[in-house]
Amino acid sequence: MTREDAAVTLRGISRSYGRGNAAVRAVDNVTLAFPRGAWTAVMGPSGSGKSTLLHCAAGLERVDEGQVLLGDTDLTAARDRTLTELRRTRIGFVFQSFNLIGSMTAAQNVALPLRLAGQRPSAAVVRDTLASVGLADRARHRPRELSGGQQQRVALARAMVTRPDVLFADEPTGALDSTSAAVVLDMMRQMASNGQSIVMVTHDPLAAARADAVIFLRDGRVVDRLAGASAGQVAARLTALEVGP
Amino acid sequence: MIALFAGSLLSVTLGVALVQSSLLLLITAATLDPPPGLGAAARMEFADNVTAAVSMLGIILGMAVFLAGFIISSTFAFTVAQRRRDFALLRLVGAGRGQVQRRLLREALLLGALGAAAGVPVGLLVMAAQAALMRHLGFVPAGFEGRWRMWILGVSFGTGIVLAVAGAMVAARRAARVQPLEALRDTGAAARVMTATRWIAGLIFTGGALALIIVAPVGGPGGGAAMAMNVPLPAAVAAAALSPLFVPLLGRLLPTGSGVIGVLARANLWDARRRSASVAAPLIVLVALVVGTAAAGASFTDSGIDELKRQTRADLVVTATGPVGAAVAAVPGVASASTELSVPATIVAGEDSEAVSALVIDPAAYARAHSVDGGLTALQGRAVAAGPGGDVPSSGTVNVTLPDLDLGAVPVVAAVPSTISGGANLLLPPGLVPAGLLADAPAQSFVTLAPGASADQVRAALGRIGTVADAGTWLRDDAASRSDVNNKIMVAVMGLGGLYALIGVVNSIVIGAAARRREFAAARVGGLTRGQVLRAALVESSAVTVAGVLLGGVAAAGALIAAARTTSAVTGSTTVSLPWTLIGAVCAVALIVTGTTSLITSWSATRPAPITQLAARE
Ligand SMILES: Nc1ncnc2c1ncn2[C@@H]1O[C@H](COP(=O)(O)OP(=O)(O)O)[C@@H](O)[C@H]1O
Ligand SMILES: [Mg+2]
Repeated sequence: MTREDAAVTLRGISRSYGRGNAAVRAVDNVTLAFPRGAWTAVMGPSGSGKSTLLHCAAGLERVDEGQVLLGDTDLTAARDRTLTELRRTRIGFVFQSFNLIGSMTAAQNVALPLRLAGQRPSAAVVRDTLASVGLADRARHRPRELSGGQQQRVALARAMVTRPDVLFADEPTGALDSTSAAVVLDMMRQMASNGQSIVMVTHDPLAAARADAVIFLRDGRVVDRLAGASAGQVAARLTALEVGP
Repeated sequence: MIALFAGSLLSVTLGVALVQSSLLLLITAATLDPPPGLGAAARMEFADNVTAAVSMLGIILGMAVFLAGFIISSTFAFTVAQRRRDFALLRLVGAGRGQVQRRLLREALLLGALGAAAGVPVGLLVMAAQAALMRHLGFVPAGFEGRWRMWILGVSFGTGIVLAVAGAMVAARRAARVQPLEALRDTGAAARVMTATRWIAGLIFTGGALALIIVAPVGGPGGGAAMAMNVPLPAAVAAAALSPLFVPLLGRLLPTGSGVIGVLARANLWDARRRSASVAAPLIVLVALVVGTAAAGASFTDSGIDELKRQTRADLVVTATGPVGAAVAAVPGVASASTELSVPATIVAGEDSEAVSALVIDPAAYARAHSVDGGLTALQGRAVAAGPGGDVPSSGTVNVTLPDLDLGAVPVVAAVPSTISGGANLLLPPGLVPAGLLADAPAQSFVTLAPGASADQVRAALGRIGTVADAGTWLRDDAASRSDVNNKIMVAVMGLGGLYALIGVVNSIVIGAAARRREFAAARVGGLTRGQVLRAALVESSAVTVAGVLLGGVAAAGALIAAARTTSAVTGSTTVSLPWTLIGAVCAVALIVTGTTSLITSWSATRPAPITQLAARE
């Protein structure tokens, strides 16, 4: 894969927490490219470094070694100002715990990234974005008046309103029941089919099977990669990793 | 959110009100004109009282500015810290550092202006209360009332806005600086409470307090006392800045019990170091200021009383009016008597003139009655001596004006050592002051009985000249009135300021509790009853209170050490007085107020069913 085909390129990145004996190498010398226009899932046992990898790839966490490229932009060398700008324009992020702003309505939450970028988002843009996640009628609701699945869809809409190059999602269905999770995954599938690059961390084989490819992590290292695998195959691979080598 | 804004607003409103009131009263007192028709002596006495009132109001204003600065800035810093999660969320969706910082500063500007707008009318109420207190304590003449000045609007709004913005500035910088992910998870730099700013402030102000403690003994009675009484200010700031180091540690030492409540309270104390430190900060200031200045004041007063007792050589003291010296000395059985007539005087140096108190004395008798080493033989003719009250150079010449009489430049030929108990600034020999001026002068005679004289007979004879007391009783009464004055000064200086600091304590508990609904709900879902959660909150707040009181006590001890060193340097004997009633009262009030507030706030925070609190994710 050439650099032009990659939405995000990781070159030998490492990230440790703590010092001395207590140091944990959460990501250990990972080299990886997430292809443009594809949906890549990252799986692995709990504590294998999935979230850390995702945060590093999105420029939310600095790396100790190596290089992170978003398209052609080197995130490792970027100053805070640049990273902030990228978050408004080229990076979208969705968390397991939604992280919506509780005092703002769904529409206000969705409009927020545009406002922060100094734009005056038109009502139509906000409405269309909310409609794309099936929440056109919930624009004036506050997060506490929405179900978990609806809140996560608002978070998706907020991440997508800037039309980012890459959508990063950390266990987006982790806090949802299976029905709500299926709705969210359908929407992400739709986005990927429209050419959206997505990097998603999950430990749910059903979710991972919806992606185009699955990367497996263990102890901070990439240990496997499956493309077009079924949920059963993904589950089997994950169980093998959790049990041992 | 509402609690945070309301808390910030309250701190500004009350701080501005206190500063405005103190400033207006000070200006009013400084421009006070003597009522028409007063004689020259009465005018001088009036000027003397005004000087005393102005200097006290100056101290009150200084205290108000200090407290307003401390409480407003720490409240703003705390509310910003409490909202770090919100700012992290904003940063994650693309808010820049500058945007977060500017937004916080705009908010502070608005809250400062709104708080000042409320503070101006509240300040008028505070001024009425403060003036009534000053009148009641007798520091200002009856009928004294603060006067409104238009320009105070500028001062009040400036105070509110500057203090609010300054308080928010450091916290805003920090809130904008931390990595958003760390702020969201409260790890890494975001979780650090002992910031560089705290270390720097802590060390600088510790240095300031130590410098005052070291220099105070060299400052003489007046300067030393002023320095000792000022130790609590830097010491309190230092203790508050360093409190995140100590509050959790002290919390661990406290016997909070080994049951689930104790474990939970201790864990909370450690985990919420920032909140604990923010509640402890105004408490530290309250205890340091009230206990520190009161203890130092009492030590100086008691030291003065002891000093007076050691120096006074007399059996009886006669209080009378006019030149009674000859009559007292003529009473059979009187071996010697120092009769001292007090007259107001003014010392003029260039443009400045200073009201002082002068005593017309018999130098030899005075030296005997007050144990003046080497006597005062040089004090005669047109010469004067510097008295025990200080403020007059011990050599050279001074320009002295008496009521209706300009003495011109007179040489200072002797100096009585300054004393802690103070007294006259200027000693005048007999003959220098015309008899007309002395006719109504208050007089005091220190009488020594001849060996074998009957005290009763002498008393009876002296009773025809004035009021007679035996020296022991006179010293006791004098001591009582000195302590009384000291206590009144403390009430005037600390009363409203202490109340403001106490409201600051309540304020920070309420602000801290606003963010605890989820935490309480999680504990209840985890199996704790509502009662257990409330008890844990109470134990936690008591531990923070005790820690705050102890740290405030350490700062207060600094003032006491300075007082001990100064009294020792000036009088040769170390005096330390602890106002135990006040200390007990301050501790009790602190525990009751923090305990009640945290029970009420946690009771209301646990009122909704826990699951509704957990479901509402932001
Ligand atoms: N902020 C942090 N401080 C210390 N250790 C951390 C931190 N974040 C993650 N870790 C550690 O790094 C390792 C990987 O964590 P993470 O990337 O969250 O794993 P995953 O998302 O796969 O469960 C774990 O051992 C975790 O304990
Ligand atoms: Mg994770």
